[in-house]
Amino acid sequence: MGTTQHIAFIVPRFSEEGVLGGAETLIRNLAEHTVSTGRKVTLLTTCAESHFTWENTLPPGKKQVGKLSVEYFPVDEDRDISSFLRIQTAISNGGHFTQDDEKAWIRNSVNSQALYDHLRDHGGTYDRLIMGPYLFGLIFYASQIHPEKTFLIPCLHDEPFAYLHLMKEMFETVSGFLFNAKPEQDLACRLFHIPKEKCAIVGMGLGPFHVDPSAFANRYQLDKPYVLYSGRREPLKGTPLLIDYMQAFRQRTHQDVKLVFTGSGPIDAPPELEPHILDVGFVPEQEKHEAMAGARAFLHPSVNESFGIVLLESWLAQTPALVHAKSDVLQWQCRRSGAGLWFKNYPEFEQELNLLLNNKGLNKEMGQDGRNYVIKEYAWEHVEQKLLSAFD
Amino acid sequence: MCDKAYDSVMTNEVYSSGSRHFGQTGPKYEVELMTTSQSIFKINASETDVEKIVADIQASVEKKIQEGVYADARIARAERSNLVHLKNEEQFLGFYLTCLRDAVFVDISDFDIRERRQGFAPILVAFKKIVWKLLKFYTYRLWVQQNQVNGLIVTAIEGVDEKNAAKIKQLEARIEVLEKEKS
Repeated sequence: MGTTQHIAFIVPRFSEEGVLGGAETLIRNLAEHTVSTGRKVTLLTTCAESHFTWENTLPPGKKQVGKLSVEYFPVDEDRDISSFLRIQTAISNGGHFTQDDEKAWIRNSVNSQALYDHLRDHGGTYDRLIMGPYLFGLIFYASQIHPEKTFLIPCLHDEPFAYLHLMKEMFETVSGFLFNAKPEQDLACRLFHIPKEKCAIVGMGLGPFHVDPSAFANRYQLDKPYVLYSGRREPLKGTPLLIDYMQAFRQRTHQDVKLVFTGSGPIDAPPELEPHILDVGFVPEQEKHEAMAGARAFLHPSVNESFGIVLLESWLAQTPALVHAKSDVLQWQCRRSGAGLWFKNYPEFEQELNLLLNNKGLNKEMGQDGRNYVIKEYAWEHVEQKLLSAFD
Repeated sequence: MCDKAYDSVMTNEVYSSGSRHFGQTGPKYEVELMTTSQSIFKINASETDVEKIVADIQASVEKKIQEGVYADARIARAERSNLVHLKNEEQFLGFYLTCLRDAVFVDISDFDIRERRQGFAPILVAFKKIVWKLLKFYTYRLWVQQNQVNGLIVTAIEGVDEKNAAKIKQLEARIEVLEKEKS
């Protein structure tokens, strides 16, 4: 196949400031780097900024954002949210639901008829339609308009939604896949009939950075060792587990180790732990990297990850990680890099955190291994090559 | 009780177990258990064998669970949001129930009431004692009932678990007999 010239990236949300979830960040980065390779790129997205309300807060139309040409479309406002939530709850809790319920669920998910009309009318002008993540009505319906030129960046997790008939329909009709990690591809191949030649593992590139490891502690007058979590705070990301584990760890080991959070969302901690938590909220990238570099360990308790951007960033900052063993992807990253340990229960967490806190030699060694791994595996030149060969 | 158990594990088992070598990823890799509380592993490597470290920790944890080192109410509380990930872990339910048994009863006993602030300490202590007596008077029956319910639930779960374990053992023995007969 010849070189693809005009590529559309489709993503449910896009922010000029870049304050979004991992999947959106990943797709935005891939789009920007595709522009750098000389291809024409258009990013199609919705006017919504909040993933809670999906309210149309941005004006529809075209806008140039840096290197990217972005086109915004309004989210449909006729959603039956109560039906959507009722069925979503049944799906996620393993309750009873029919195929008609699945259809009602996706119909009342985030959709944009204006974006679908655009793809029907102008789809012919694009050589490739790259879209994701998989769990949105927007992506489901958009993928069905020109499936022969559609590539999914699914960001797939082993969760109840992945087992829906609708997902099988979507995964088995599109033209190709850009996976973030091998366990994600393995999961997709296990759940759906997908020929291997349709799959490519691409991920995202990360540029190395150098920061002062003591800068963050100095800024916030932290005189005790600390561990760090970066990202959204919500049950799906495992933050309640992290708080419970850190509370038990401090009580049982009597080690004065602080827990630092960057990112958004509420933190529901017991009063005894609150004085030992530092929540700095959203911070600039530089400050986040400084926080990572000064931490004794980066803690990633989420089991729903398809790549682990913050994990790789913490390794670039030379900080080893502790991840939940139930996340195949994070465990895979740790095994390949030698820069992280994985736990499946509290006792394992306690011993592993003890090790990383008290053995400076091991800590340093693992941190260095992590940095080397990310520089080698996720250099942009390397990722761009994989991306373009998948397109072409 | 739990803190003592923890200390004894850290000092006697991990730190005093002497020198050990783990599996290597390359000739440069060497890990050694130390006898000091500051350094468990001595690394002399360019690549860390994290698989071996995790495997070793898992083995150590398994042993300590059997020894009752982690039978701690605080662990039961810490695992509450992890249970969904552990439902397929065969041995974990037993361990969790042991922890839960420790956490199941709400402590309604009297305790020593103190006051750190100088000056009004005797008055504040007397005031706190009155508050505690009032609280206890109005909530005692409630907590006693709650403790009964908690205790019965744990006992019931333990009973079901033991019954299932015995049934599985019985079925396994039967399969073994049938397989022998067949062969």
